Amino acid sequence: MTVDVPRRRALNVPRSPLWLAASLVVLFSLASVALQPTFLSPRVLQSNLSTFLPLMIIAVGQTYVILGGAIDLSLGALVSLVNVVLVTSLQALGADPSFAAIAACMGMALLVGAAGGAVNGVLVGVLRLQPIVSTFAAGIVFGGIALWIMPQAGGSMPPVYAKTYAAKLFGVKGATFMLLSLVAIIYLISRTRFYIYLLAVGSNRPAAFQSGLPVMRIRVLSYIVAGLFASVTAMVILASTSAGDPLMGQAFTLGSVSAVVLGGTALSGGAGSAIGSMLGAVLLGLINNVLFFAQLPFVYQTIVQGTIILAALAGGIMVSRR
Amino acid sequence: MAPSPSTAADAPVLEARGLAKSYGQVVALECGDLTVAGGEIHALLGSNGSGKSTLCKILAGAVKADAGELLQRGRRITLQSPSDARDAGIGTVYQETSLIPALTVAQNIQLGIEARSRLRLVDSGRSRREAVRRIEDFGSTLGIRFGPDDIVGDLAIDQQQLVEIIRVVSRRPSLVIFDEATASLDRVQVDGAFALLRRLREEGKSAILVTHRMDEIFSIADRVTVMRNGRSVGTREVRDVDPAALIDLMTGAPADAPPVSRRAQGSEQPILTVRDLSSDAFRDVSFALRRGEVLGLGGLQGQGQSELLRTIFGALKPKSGEIEMAGIPGAPATPAAAVRRGLAFASGDRKRYGTFAIRSIFENLAIARLAQSRSPLVSRARLEPRLMQSISGAKLKFGRLDDSISTLSGGNQQKVVIGRWLDTDPKVLLLDDPTKGIDIRAKRDLYEMFSVLQEKGLAIVIYSSDATELLEIADRILVINGGHVVDELKDDRKTEFELNAAALKGA
Repeated sequence: MTVDVPRRRALNVPRSPLWLAASLVVLFSLASVALQPTFLSPRVLQSNLSTFLPLMIIAVGQTYVILGGAIDLSLGALVSLVNVVLVTSLQALGADPSFAAIAACMGMALLVGAAGGAVNGVLVGVLRLQPIVSTFAAGIVFGGIALWIMPQAGGSMPPVYAKTYAAKLFGVKGATFMLLSLVAIIYLISRTRFYIYLLAVGSNRPAAFQSGLPVMRIRVLSYIVAGLFASVTAMVILASTSAGDPLMGQAFTLGSVSAVVLGGTALSGGAGSAIGSMLGAVLLGLINNVLFFAQLPFVYQTIVQGTIILAALAGGIMVSRR
Repeated sequence: MAPSPSTAADAPVLEARGLAKSYGQVVALECGDLTVAGGEIHALLGSNGSGKSTLCKILAGAVKADAGELLQRGRRITLQSPSDARDAGIGTVYQETSLIPALTVAQNIQLGIEARSRLRLVDSGRSRREAVRRIEDFGSTLGIRFGPDDIVGDLAIDQQQLVEIIRVVSRRPSLVIFDEATASLDRVQVDGAFALLRRLREEGKSAILVTHRMDEIFSIADRVTVMRNGRSVGTREVRDVDPAALIDLMTGAPADAPPVSRRAQGSEQPILTVRDLSSDAFRDVSFALRRGEVLGLGGLQGQGQSELLRTIFGALKPKSGEIEMAGIPGAPATPAAAVRRGLAFASGDRKRYGTFAIRSIFENLAIARLAQSRSPLVSRARLEPRLMQSISGAKLKFGRLDDSISTLSGGNQQKVVIGRWLDTDPKVLLLDDPTKGIDIRAKRDLYEMFSVLQEKGLAIVIYSSDATELLEIADRILVINGGHVVDELKDDRKTEFELNAAALKGA
């Protein structure tokens, strides 16, 4: 007979189970079908995917930071920064650039995201500052640089960039291709040592250190990974908006945190999944969708939206306390 | 210059010379000397605060020394981190395990040494098989009750400790450090762990065993080094010394005669009556406790003793049964209600249930009194003399009352945790393994504290994993096995033999 002494959980912060996020996605999909009969048509699905995809990507990035027991409140600003860097550099290429030139610009965008992540990683992992405050402050700086590079929204893009994203390759559009790539990358990351070590660090940092894991490197790397996801988010957004905006990323910071928590990852770190965060992001998108088609007066939409998110979060935590 | 093979073979596996470490003003280790030969089990003995934990942490690479040197087989080494120590073949099993609660047993055992495929991804199948092999190889004697895929955070503390032992020992370190790693294990598990140490010794490997349990030293160690006040004060062959001599060396003075004179039992109404109390962890427990009585709860680790105490204190809900306190029936619904009815509780798990680590000694002492007080305001001027008065018998050693409680040794922290109740005038004190990880001298102080309280009419229910302690301070002992009270030991049946016999019966 096993009699348990008090359990040493990572922390007593519960996380909601993955099935809850999944069932809420199903529920709100059904509601969408009821309110919007064309919801399941390929065109509407494709358009919804394009709308939801940026938050899904950034939420996956945020997941890796939160799994490590930290948080990144600069991700939205980093998306903005990468966005304006990419727009400005693409603009400089003229109307008909070569693919190589565009690829170089995208490579630079990835570097900017990684560099932003590295800054956060050094602040939190090396200097051991508080993640909430230091990444928030770093985000203000990133946003400031974005405004400096591009004071006003706008810019014109070589059309080939957006066209390529909208074109079909092997019968799937760019957004679908991105979705499949995202799942593949999540799978690959989950098979790395980095991922196990990240869970270890998020679950019990002193123990991870005592076990001989390179705690500092792991934490820095988690922020760099999140920065790379911020870059990809910015690229995807640019492909559908075709214009730069130094303030466009703002909503992604807390949006990504909400998606991660709705998807069942514990804010205390160490437990959760990136797939859950994708579901969380889809859920947030579907809630908006349902509210729009329910033809609720605009002034009430935010109140109802907030209430539903709160209920979903609370529900998840209540369920997991059982 | 590399030493010649013969000197390398003769040189000690590990030699620490004059290691020192200070944290700000506090000197944790003044002069740590230790020489561990190949194929020996070397015990390290000392009070809490004697520096032995710091010495171990330096050997484990978790703490960097300010001065002194480390030699491995005659060669100087520097350990910058735990991974350096691991690479040098030094493995450490800590009392507070360094396991990752969110990962499985297999993942924890392979942590840092995962098998990888050609693409440098983790080969989880091969890693798991490797872990299973290690569990089978090293866990068979340990009394394990887990599988490779169980989540470590869901295991009981003793099982977690066993996972940690398997993890460290199965990596075949040339030197393994057991830093009070047996504190949460029961007798059978300790024997199993010692069997592993003997096996390592036969393979020519060495071990450092940090322990408070004298019997463990005499049952397994070859030599023992004693530490006092941050210095190594002597190394002895175990076969040449007796426990009394070691205690003398530890305290720097002849051992105190065991105090605690048993006073006659009052025969009045019971102050606390428990009838047929049951929960998930224990069944049909009944007893009546009188004023001034010490009731011991015995048995192997994790048989429901802690849960029983926490249920009486209102922290856990009973399934059925009755509790009657001072004539008032009904189980307290919450700890707050229990405190109002004159119950007090102290756990040996100080970090979790006892101390407010970053707050001052004064606040830690005052908290129970404040919780009981109805006044919204706090007068330190009035509170301080009262608290000092009530704790005066505890021989509490501290700098200033406003120092953080973390500046105290474990034994002194526990005096604060228990002492905080004294001014609340409790009727019954519940103690859940209160001297776990505390040195012998601080234990003596605590026993004295208990006996003073007893004489004032306080009743005590104590669970202890230390049989000697239980036999010494309890008037009678309920032995709990698998959640059932299997025996009640008193008078001439209150012996170590009977206690072990009852604890192991049918287990």
